Parts: sequence; structure tokens; C-alpha cells
Amino acid sequence: MDAFVELSAELTGFSAEELRSTGLVEQYRALAQGAPEADIIELWYTGVWHGVVPSARAYAEGLAWKAVGVAAPGTRAPGFGSWERRPRRSTS
Amino acid sequence: MRAVVVGAGFAGSLIAKVLGDNGFRVLVLEAGAHNDHDEAVRRFRTALVKTPLAPYRTTAAAPSSDYLINTGPFDYSSPYLRMNGGTGTAWTGITPRMHPEDFRTADLGRGRNWPLSYDELEPYYRAAEWEIGVAADADEQRQHLPVADGYRYPMHALPRTYLDEAIASVVDGQSIDGNELLVVGTPQARNGIPVNGYRPHGQLCAGYASCVPICPENAKYTPHRTQKQWSAAVELRTRCVVNRVHADEFGRITKVTYQRYEDDTSGRHTRHEEEADLVVLAAHAIENAKLLLMSGLANSSDQVGRNLMDHPALLTWALMPQQIGPFRGPGSTTGIEVFRSGPQRCTRAPFRIEIGNWGWGWSAGSPGSDTAEFVAAGLRGKALRQAVADRVGRQFALQFEIEQEADPANRVTLGTDLDALGNPRPSVHYGLSDYVKDGLLAAKRASDRIFELLGAEDHTSYKPDDERYFEHDGEPLRYWGAGHGGGTHVMGDSPRDSVVDRWQRCWDHPNLYAVGCGSMPSLGTSNPSLTMAALALRTAGHLVSRRPEEVVCTMSKAP
Repeated sequence: MDAFVELSAELTGFSAEELRSTGLVEQYRALAQGAPEADIIELWYTGVWHGVVPSARAYAEGLAWKAVGVAAPGTRAPGFGSWERRPRRSTS
Repeated sequence: MRAVVVGAGFAGSLIAKVLGDNGFRVLVLEAGAHNDHDEAVRRFRTALVKTPLAPYRTTAAAPSSDYLINTGPFDYSSPYLRMNGGTGTAWTGITPRMHPEDFRTADLGRGRNWPLSYDELEPYYRAAEWEIGVAADADEQRQHLPVADGYRYPMHALPRTYLDEAIASVVDGQSIDGNELLVVGTPQARNGIPVNGYRPHGQLCAGYASCVPICPENAKYTPHRTQKQWSAAVELRTRCVVNRVHADEFGRITKVTYQRYEDDTSGRHTRHEEEADLVVLAAHAIENAKLLLMSGLANSSDQVGRNLMDHPALLTWALMPQQIGPFRGPGSTTGIEVFRSGPQRCTRAPFRIEIGNWGWGWSAGSPGSDTAEFVAAGLRGKALRQAVADRVGRQFALQFEIEQEADPANRVTLGTDLDALGNPRPSVHYGLSDYVKDGLLAAKRASDRIFELLGAEDHTSYKPDDERYFEHDGEPLRYWGAGHGGGTHVMGDSPRDSVVDRWQRCWDHPNLYAVGCGSMPSLGTSNPSLTMAALALRTAGHLVSRRPEEVVCTMSKAP
């Protein structure tokens, strides 16, 4: 088991598989291995590392949006009129 | 006829199109650089703070609103963008008409009257709605505004958000201070389902939830859409900063001079001039005033740069009792219109309420701020995930746009500091009157009551160290800039106290027009771009309906 992914999963409440599916594990490991917990969480949840968004993917894959069950604004569109519907809860 | 249009934004692009289609040769001089849409989408995604101007290319030679110098008691904090397409590239795309009362603001409240009535402008509202593509339902709009019989908007109203329905189901029919609440669909310049006879440009709105500052799929109108329809008679030159308009001894405009730059990072430039039979200034309220002041023109009334208005906006934010799914679809699809008109505007500024569908994104920086708060409180793992989901999934905001009356003391002048091209930076003296502050306070009280009706948990807080914080009648308040600058070349019935006439023609110069929100004597409570477009089309029609001989003839009568 990958120690960085394991720690990230424990801190974020997202499974190792959910984290790997973002495609960001390698980039984040390089940035954040050994960093304080709060920094690692901020990176995963908001895609911000020390005041910088390291990539467009980091923004799009922010876990805060996934927790709410919506796409990060300006990255993926749910489709015309989808905003009328009762929101679906994210599976946690 | 050789026409020069200064500024390739909302008003300039529309006027250039009509002139180019009707026998004019048109040169459009745009201060900013070309907009690269794909690059702007990328910049948006990697911007730390997703402010309205964050995605867009800026240059040292033609800075945007961040080069304003504030000298007054309150900061003028509304952004504008100097780039091809102008602020109409970053705008929110909400297109309500002004209320008929708003054209008689001086009679009914404070400020100045228009030299036009709603009825005179109404046909141009319809033309503008078809030109830019507005989605709305005429019967629904008739609940608070006169709309011509038999009229259809070019697209059906967009579906309401889940939040809108949740709010409407509670507040419709309730009353605040004798005002009956009704949630009403807001006209939108973004693509919905077209009616017969209308062919939309661009994609159907798929709900990217980033209309401000950028719609990735171009479902929102921007002036670039109009530019694509320009005839070959219209030529656009970007990176050209007009710094003087020249008149002969009779007041007739002869030419403009401009500075052309290539480098984004320096003020290195070359100087050029262009002769013109007709000049249309469409550079934004503040830039139009700056250019008139730099040129020493159109100011026999001493009103150039004065009467600067905006919509001081009040934001309030709360949690609904249930999950409502924010950040899906457009920023706002409905509002509450009842506070826009009526006798209360005699005593306090009227306001429009926008129901905000993007959580606390603007007001509090969500969801990053919520995450940081929970992490600081020690939440980790599933508990953190659950807390973010619960909090953000229930967020909503109300945005109140408060009318600000024309006040000659709120003004743009030429600063002593120079920009990279050696031109004066605009200096802004801005304040809020008691009339506006009373309106902000009334808005806050309406918000309190609406949250109470909804059973919503109010999280609004204004703190002394917040920007634009102040207290009024002992209550903490705060305002945000709505990006709706206007009034700086005000329109009127007399050359003694106004800059342009009812056609947006400068009283002092027969072939000089200053167009855009700067012409508006009041902004009412509606987002002003649609009204700007209606005025632009009216002015364009006026220019082409007068045959060139007549234009020349009028010019020869100039004093």
C-alpha cells in the first residue's frame, strides 16, 4: 500500500481508489509528501498548494466539489435544465 | 461616411455592426488586446481567486479598472475590462429591463430623470433582446413590467433552479412592509430553447456555473458574437489606445489620435491618427469620461465625469434547511422584483433581489473557506467530507442591487499619476448618500425577514476589518461593486446640464457620440447591459436613418 495515498485517504475521507481516479496522486506526492496534514487536505480539497493552483486538473478534481456532488465551476457541465432537479447526494 | 468607434465592447460592437451594414466605413479602435477564449478558460481554471477579470489578458499599456485611483470617502470597487469584447466578455448575462419608474427617478425618488420614457425605449428593448438573444417569458415579465402585446422573447425562459422552487414555495404570497413577495424568472442572455424564427448563436446552456467570468461553451452572449456578424465594411484594430479626439474651431470633430503598442508588458508605442466624419465613444463610462476630459471636449455643462453611479450591492448568505444543490447552472435564474418600485423609493433607494445559486462563492469564498474552517476545527476524514457536503450543499445567497442616484459630487477626474503610455490615470471620488445607505439597510432587513420565512440559518456577517464596511443607524453594513458604472456623460434635455442629448450625441459636437452606461441619468435597479444595448441600437438607427447629406447639413449649422 502506498503510504502517501493511505495517509491522504485517512485525512480526506475519500477512498484510495477515489483519490487515484483524480490522476493527481503522483503530482501531489511530489508536492506534499511529508507536508503538514492541513496542507495535504487543502491541496486535495481545493487544488491549492501554498497559494498556487498547480494545474487545471487540480482545480477540476477538488474534493470539496466532489463532496457536494457537483463539478468544479467551469470544468464539466451537468446538462441543460439539470439544475431543476433535486440534488443527488455524494456517496461517502 | 467614415466612422471611428472607440471601444469594441457591448455598445461599440453593436453600433459598428449597424453602421457597417448601412453604408458606413467603420474603424473600431480597441485599447486592449485580442481575446483568446481557450487561453482564458485555462487561466480561469488555474486562477487562485476566480475574480471577474482573472481569466483575461491584460496589458501594461491599457490597464483595466485596477489602475483607478480612489480619493473619496468610499471606494469605487467595480471592475471593468479593457480587452476586445470589453467587460461584456466577463459579464453575468442577466438582462432585466429597467422599470418604467426608473426613467423618472428625480420625480419619484432622487437623482435625475431620463429625457426618454420607458415607452419610447420599449421597441429598442425588444430589438436588443433579439439581437443579443434573451431567454425569458413575456407573460411572466408582465407581472412587474409592461411588455408589448404579442411579443415573444427569442428564447423560452430558462428552467428555474431547485433552489428557486424551494424559495418560491415558501415566500410567494408572503408580505414584507406591505410588499407582496413573488419569485420571478430573470431574463438571461444565455441560450435556452429558441422560439420559432430565432436561431441562437453558440451552444445551449449546459450549466457550467461559471458564467462570470467565462462560459466555456459560449452559451452566454458576448460582443464577440456580434463582431462575427460584422460586414467587411468594419475594421477592428486592437492594441490602439485613443488618447485624443480633435475638433475644429466650430466644434466639429475632425480626427482621433491613438497610441499603438505590441508588447504586453511595457508602454512602448507608436503614434497614429485617423480622420473621421463621425466618432462614437464606446469605451466604458469611466474611459469615455477620461477621453473627453483629456480632449477638453463636450464639457460646456461641466458634467463630464460627474454623476458616477454603480449598484452598491449587498450580499447576504444563509443555509437552507435542506440540501438544494448549489453551483449547478447559471448564477441566478430568478429574483424578487417588488422592491424595485413603489412609494418607498421617495424615502430610500429601491432595490432588486437576485436569488444566488452559487452558494457562498462570492460572499465568503466557499467551498475553500468552509474546508479551511472545518480543518482548523480538527475535522478529518469522513467527518470532514460529511461536514463539507452538508454545509456547502445547503448554501445560498441573496444579492441586492441598490439604486444609486446621480450625484454630481461622485465623479471621475484626471489623476496626476500617469499610466505606462503617459496618459492620466482616472481618479474617482465616490461616496454613498444616506438615500443609498437607507436602501442598503432596508435590503438587509428584507433579507432578515426572508431568511426567517425560509427557516434558513443566517451566516451573514460584516466586520469592521472587511473591505467596504461601514455602519449606518448603528447597524453594520457592507457593499460590493456590481460592475455597473454609469452616468459620466449624462443624457438630458438641455445642453446646460447634460453632456449628451436623447440620441447620445454630445451637445457641443454635432458628429461626436458618447454611448454606453455613461449616458444613463439613472440606473434604476436592473443590470444595465440590456438597457445599454437598447440605447446603442436606438442611436445606431438614428445615425443610419439620417442620410449622410443630412448629417453633413446639420454639421454645417454647428456654432
